[in-house]
Amino acid sequence: MDSLFAKAEAIQPLEKKRKGSGGAPNKKSHKPNKPAPPSDRILTSVAQHTALPKSLRPTSPTPENVSKHTHIKDLKLRTQLTRQATHAARSKALLQDAELLLTDEVGKIQAENDMERTWRIGQDEVVQGAGQEAAKGRQEWKLDGGPYRSRYTRNGRHLAIVGNMGHVATFDWQTGSMHAELQLQETCRDITFLHDHSHFAVAQKKYVFIYDRDGVELHRLKSHIESTRLEFLPYHWLLASVGNSGYLKYQDTSTGQLVAEHRTKLGACHTMTQNRHNAVIHLGHQSGVVTLWTPNLPHPAVQLLAHLGPVVGVSVDPSTGGRYMATSGQDGIVKVWDCRNWKGAIREWSTRGGGAELEWSAKGSLAVATGGSVNVYTRPTIQSPFSAKVAPPLYLTHPIPHRPLTSVRFCPFQDILTIGHNAGLSSILVPGSGEPNFDSAEADPFENKKARREREVKGLLDKIQPDMIALDPDFVGSLAPPLKLTTAVNDKVDIPFAHLPRLERLRLQGKADESEIMDGDDADGSGDGEDGSNGKKQSREEREKRKMRGKGKSLKRYLRKQRKNVIDPTAVSIRAKLEKQKEEKRVARAIEKGEMEPRKPSALDRFRRS
Amino acid sequence: MVKISVLQHSPSVHLPSRPGDPTPTSRNLDPLMHPFARARERTRALNAAKMDRLFAKPFVGSLEGHIDAVEVLCKKPGTLSTVASGSWDGGIMLHNLAERKQLHRIQGAHKGKVSGLCFGDGDRLLSCGVDSDIKLWNVAPQTETSDQRPLNVFPGKSPFNSIDHHRSDPLFATASNIVQIWDETKSAAVSNLTFPTSTETVTSVRFNLSETSVLGSIGSDRTFTLYDIRTGKAERRVIMQMRSNALSWSPTFPTSVLLASEDHNLYTFDVRQLSSPTQIYKAHVAAVTSCDWSPTGLEFVSGGWDRTVRIWKEGQGTGPEVYHTKRMQRVSSTIFSADARFVLTGSDDGNVRIWKAKASEKLGIVTARERAAIEYRDTLKERWKWDSEVGKISRTRHLPKPVHQAAKLKRTMLDARSVKEERRRKHTRAGESKPKAERKKVVIAEQS
Repeated sequence: MDSLFAKAEAIQPLEKKRKGSGGAPNKKSHKPNKPAPPSDRILTSVAQHTALPKSLRPTSPTPENVSKHTHIKDLKLRTQLTRQATHAARSKALLQDAELLLTDEVGKIQAENDMERTWRIGQDEVVQGAGQEAAKGRQEWKLDGGPYRSRYTRNGRHLAIVGNMGHVATFDWQTGSMHAELQLQETCRDITFLHDHSHFAVAQKKYVFIYDRDGVELHRLKSHIESTRLEFLPYHWLLASVGNSGYLKYQDTSTGQLVAEHRTKLGACHTMTQNRHNAVIHLGHQSGVVTLWTPNLPHPAVQLLAHLGPVVGVSVDPSTGGRYMATSGQDGIVKVWDCRNWKGAIREWSTRGGGAELEWSAKGSLAVATGGSVNVYTRPTIQSPFSAKVAPPLYLTHPIPHRPLTSVRFCPFQDILTIGHNAGLSSILVPGSGEPNFDSAEADPFENKKARREREVKGLLDKIQPDMIALDPDFVGSLAPPLKLTTAVNDKVDIPFAHLPRLERLRLQGKADESEIMDGDDADGSGDGEDGSNGKKQSREEREKRKMRGKGKSLKRYLRKQRKNVIDPTAVSIRAKLEKQKEEKRVARAIEKGEMEPRKPSALDRFRRS
Repeated sequence: MVKISVLQHSPSVHLPSRPGDPTPTSRNLDPLMHPFARARERTRALNAAKMDRLFAKPFVGSLEGHIDAVEVLCKKPGTLSTVASGSWDGGIMLHNLAERKQLHRIQGAHKGKVSGLCFGDGDRLLSCGVDSDIKLWNVAPQTETSDQRPLNVFPGKSPFNSIDHHRSDPLFATASNIVQIWDETKSAAVSNLTFPTSTETVTSVRFNLSETSVLGSIGSDRTFTLYDIRTGKAERRVIMQMRSNALSWSPTFPTSVLLASEDHNLYTFDVRQLSSPTQIYKAHVAAVTSCDWSPTGLEFVSGGWDRTVRIWKEGQGTGPEVYHTKRMQRVSSTIFSADARFVLTGSDDGNVRIWKAKASEKLGIVTARERAAIEYRDTLKERWKWDSEVGKISRTRHLPKPVHQAAKLKRTMLDARSVKEERRRKHTRAGESKPKAERKKVVIAEQS
């Protein structure tokens, strides 16, 4: 190919040759001499109003200490990995920047000296200290037909309340506009909004009914019989109910199918909550057991004996990604559990006045409504292990004379706690309980009609399948964990653990006692103190104890009994045989250590004397 | 005295200040605020993959008019819409892609099939045929279609198989039993290029697009030959396992050449290193009859005897996009359009078909939001392609039953062959027969 560029007789078109020889200037040669216009005005005018494609946009300088993947040989793969790492580092930096842009701040009560106690501050004082807009959150709704339960929408704008005697109302509590008010004339046990305020479900005397925003009955869910508690899993569009029959049922509200039906076998259930971060349903039972359920498992994912008596309240901490759970029993004991391991409660204390309703706020305040008052505890004391069975320091307390207190709900994105009781509902202000910065893409208290519709469609498109609910929500898209107990003996065939021979099983568990094999070799070989692949020194007694008995020793015993000076052909042959075995073992060991090359097999081996 | 501050959102910040204004949005990127982010993203990726397949309607239209099979297609350099096609009936047609109509038609341009077409400078079209003639036509839009006389006829001695024009100079090369270089102004060939020991029939010849004096040819004796018109010699030749049917030079990477082989594969070669191909492209189940690079040099199209058209990514040897219709017969010529958005195929049924290069691309105006959504979906598909479900949806293609069966049979045969090879190796002396890389098997001999 180098000869290509050697000067040779080149074939040139005739015209070109003539042009070259004539040298006459023609029109075309003038064109390049013309100066180009300094800037393309059309191009620049367009550039201001158009977005560059993502791939052409200028990028920020590459972040530092991104791994270069130099150990990877494949250039394409290395480039791709480096690009991914750069992208990840860049987005992490952007995430840190974005935290600076959060505008609103968490509310708080700050004591100025050590003698002041935040729990001494009553609601009147809090309301005085709050801004005009925030003070609207302190409200009392005096209603007949209690006790009442309530539920907020995910954006915290709308409130649904239900009285035990059948009074149901949904309204926008900020503007005070009522959406629907129904007198159902029968026992109603629970209420929940579905994906937004346009639908809500009520657990009534026999069935669960779904109403639309205006209170028109849309569906009667005949499979949910005598439900006592309802939960809606917003990202899976599942309505979960549990009732007196002890069945946990999941109904898909987008398709209408009954997705799963689990028999708890633990009797009537009056306590249910969901973990917002993995959509696992927590049930508290009469026997003091708390069970965790997913639709794809017919048995509880976790079963836990939490109390010695009926469980009354369960709540999961949303501020730590569902890491902590609080339970309360009929006997007035409140326990906080770590959901990563269930080895006993982190903290427990007893309250006065029997079973407590619990609710954990978005910023980690725990409201405990018991007897005639509601107490609020805060992080971090409530989540730090403490062995003494005393109540954590109280943050706020509020007495309510209308027993029983049947529900406590924190309003999302507000510092408001709504307590349902016998005479209606009361909202109190709990500074520091609400998440100050909402994300419009998830839940927006100020969204308009169009945005709500948009979110509904997007939510339906992004609906997660019910069988993807698991205790660890991040298992999606992660690598399958390596199997622990099914490793192969030889790396080729993967034999399940249960099918392995016992020694292999012991070896995999790390319980196999392999010292005796080494010991036997040593006894034959050098026989000095050093032994064992582990490099452990064993005492003489232990070695003696572990010495292999009864195998291959008869020859040695025979030889020992022979007298040295008698030359017996049998003894000689046995001695030779032992020598040979020893030699073979030595060779094998040398090969294993890499000091010797293994002998290559050849076709002539068949003629060798063994 | 304690300090109390209670959270409150001011409506003035979060509500539009005037009616008609967009509602202000706020963001909080705390992962706790976005539960199930991964699971939702996977769902979105799944939907993106499904939508991609749902909207995969690649067929745009067909250009009819030829009586017999379309043998050759060529695009006019410098234009987006003009394409010429030559047929077995000896007719040549000029098409406008944008309007999908015929610009010019020359009936009986050659006796027998038109075997090669290329545009000269201006509106001049060169055609060659098996009647041993090269004809120069004026296909300017003003000229009457009734005027069907060529501007010039270059008589040759033997039937021509292919013709290609020099990138800038008024030279063109033809392939018959030898490669000849012609000047448009001279009636006889300027020079003959042939490899000293060659007795082949040259089936195709192409000029390199940037090293413009280099040209490559493929012949019936399974060779690929490189020539230089400056030295006037054949420079190098490789003999391969099977003969090639078409060749194409990469428009962006001058040393890269693509060969469509009779053994169902396509090969890219680096001409500096001809001992083995840089990549083997395996998917066709019959001989590949034609190939053409996209002007971007990142993709190329191939058409085969198996009645399918495949669009490959450069450097990715498997899993091409595959197009087929019930009525399309053996594909004898394929080209990429000059804007890399469309693919044209000429087949034995006498139609020239226009396909989209990306099957699910939306034609027409795409707004900025739509463009952003498309880019997002593409990224999602790329990111989740390792997910079994997403990957399966975006990988799977429906194939006509005969093609599917042929692929199955081929796979069985290749598997059996490899098993046999493996067993043979197992029963020979250790280390005696080593497995040979697939790339090393392609080239038999390299001559220079």
